[in-house]
Amino acid sequence: MLTGYSKVLILGCGTCVTVCMAGGEKEVGILASTLRLANRKEGRSVAIDEATIERQCDREFFDTVRDRISNADAVLSMACGVGVQFLAEVFPDTIVLPGLDTKFYGATVGQGVWAERCSGCGSCVIADFGGICPVTRCSKGLLNGPCGGSQNGKCEVDPKGTDCGWQLIYDRMKKLGQLSKLETVTPLKDWSTTRFGGPGTIVKEDALP
Amino acid sequence: MRARSAAARITVLLCENSAWKASAELPADSALRGVDFVKIPCSGRVDAGLLLSLLEHGSAGVLAVGCPKDDCTFLRGNYRAEKRVSATRAILREAGLDEGLVRLSFVSAMDAHRLRESVLDFKRYLDDNSSS
Repeated sequence: MLTGYSKVLILGCGTCVTVCMAGGEKEVGILASTLRLANRKEGRSVAIDEATIERQCDREFFDTVRDRISNADAVLSMACGVGVQFLAEVFPDTIVLPGLDTKFYGATVGQGVWAERCSGCGSCVIADFGGICPVTRCSKGLLNGPCGGSQNGKCEVDPKGTDCGWQLIYDRMKKLGQLSKLETVTPLKDWSTTRFGGPGTIVKEDALP
Repeated sequence: MRARSAAARITVLLCENSAWKASAELPADSALRGVDFVKIPCSGRVDAGLLLSLLEHGSAGVLAVGCPKDDCTFLRGNYRAEKRVSATRAILREAGLDEGLVRLSFVSAMDAHRLRESVLDFKRYLDDNSSS
């Protein structure tokens, strides 16, 4: 991916990817050192610059590294997929490459473990399912109970690791005394608010300039 | 890595609760010439960023030495070091570099002999693999 570029800026992001130890200042340093060592071994002359800004999803924070971005042949962004694309949007003449492989947006469920919790699909149904999202937590996104692949509380997609989302929903709603709510048949979800309706945009009128 | 020049030095990171104390008992020894002994608060201080940075800035190799297993002053520092050195070796491997450039060993405060053997063994390895 970096072949052919002689000046590369590795640009970290100081917010979410820093917290999940993927693309913050520390990880930028590790990648930069690794690349310099590998380039030295292979006799490649590549200048590796490194910087980390507060966020790559807000235009203002790029100001401090504007010159360094312009000076680079390519920028390897260590932000999530959002930051990578926004960087490319703010700098239309710069070659921008992704340094991470963004899988999802999740929570820190334990030290060193992150797990997906929300699909950001709009028309939110969490309130009807005891605070657990069937769209994200059920591998099949089922809205009216589990499939036949739910065994011993685990999902057939990954019987050793992944909990059955519907088992979680059932157990929690039972504990909360809300099981009767599950007797209601959930109608088809409005999927137009998710990716299938095209890329989402939110406008907050009172925040506009 | 480049072939190790005469000036290239080996860095040995010593936990101040064990290996650093052992190093005080090392006799003056020409075999240890070219080795920099550096005190760290715990082997758990070691991580990929530190190890790679040392290599990048000229160390021929980095040996971290912590307390014996289950005898860490901070309880799990040496277990953390083990995971982090292992992660660093994986990074080196993935980048086509010699993973043997970083190593971890464990010695007690009383074991200067073992510390010396550990350092010399690492030095031998680097000498034998300096051009790879």
